Amino acid sequence: MLILRIAIDLLIAIGLIFALAGTLGVMRMPDTFCRMQASTCVTTLGVIGVGLGALLYTIFIMGSAATAVKVLVICGLVLVTNPVGAHAIAKGAYQAGIRPDKEMETEDYRRDFDE
Amino acid sequence: MKDLIIFSVCLGFVALLNIYRMIKGPTAADRMVAADCTDILISLAMMLFSLYSGRGIYLDIAIITAMLGIINTMLVGRYLDKGRWLYHADTEDSD
Amino acid sequence: MHKTSFGGVASTFLLCFIFWILLTWSAEPQELATGAVISLAVALFSSRFFIHDKPGWFFRPAKLLNGIFFWLCIFPVELVKANVDVAKRCFTGCKNVNPGIVKVPVDLKSMYGQAALANAITLTPGTITMEITEEEGQTYYYIHWIDARLPGGEEAGEEIKGRLERGLRRVWE
Repeated sequence: MLILRIAIDLLIAIGLIFALAGTLGVMRMPDTFCRMQASTCVTTLGVIGVGLGALLYTIFIMGSAATAVKVLVICGLVLVTNPVGAHAIAKGAYQAGIRPDKEMETEDYRRDFDE
Repeated sequence: MKDLIIFSVCLGFVALLNIYRMIKGPTAADRMVAADCTDILISLAMMLFSLYSGRGIYLDIAIITAMLGIINTMLVGRYLDKGRWLYHADTEDSD
Repeated sequence: MHKTSFGGVASTFLLCFIFWILLTWSAEPQELATGAVISLAVALFSSRFFIHDKPGWFFRPAKLLNGIFFWLCIFPVELVKANVDVAKRCFTGCKNVNPGIVKVPVDLKSMYGQAALANAITLTPGTITMEITEEEGQTYYYIHWIDARLPGGEEAGEEIKGRLERGLRRVWE
């Protein structure tokens, strides 16, 4: 039982560390698109770590199936729908006139948007 | 288990750090990215608090929060993209 | 706009009904009946928006096993590697980034395969798919890359999505 509790704490702590890393990236990155990349860090390993820890807790300590299914639904929902939102907001930001700081974009992309 | 409430408070504090970018961010996309992060972190913190307190109602609210967050993000992204569909190769001719 | 087909309505109804059962988690007949009615309404309204191909094409045992192997074994390894890389950049000052948009050719033909590959690329930190275009029969992705070492083309594609594309080609080909 002690090993189980240590495993749960370790998983949630890993999720918390990656969430902190993503938040620091959102606060300090120099560019809008880089901030988006850092925010992906929060929504993948942060969610997976905290979700796995909570799932172990609900299955082995609480022992209720309904709560475990709801935790799975939350994590699966965030993981499945997040790339669609990231894609939408990246394309919208480019369309609204925000460009990457360094000029390394290919010319084709600008052409495809201008036509 | 006391650990869950400690982790929940830590997640809430990390979510508060995102408010800085939400206030300062120069463009709408920055603010929306920070708001999305805040939303997901608050949802996770609510999930851990629900497991700590043993009440199921917080878990339902966490599901609704996650759903509304993703809908907000797509709405603002589509607004910035001037109302076009995300993948408009097929639907452009019929619009 | 695509037409509403019976297979599309049936598969969307099944998805909505499974989601309803997972959310409510009770086997009383009244709740099941309410869920069936609401799922049918949602399926009739919205199935034409996202069932564009033959529904149920994915559910063959070989393809399903390959898909499960991809999403549970190949993809998490890439996810953890990319996550550690981006987290290292975030903790060490956020100065060593080199962002850029590259254009990468993709060989997948099926629309579902292209969407799954784009979502997998976006879900790994460090790369975001921005648009899918098609020129002369060849599909191209525009990808924003946080560490653009290469100017684009085949080599950059191998660096970004080599394993993901090889894993997905076994499912959708």
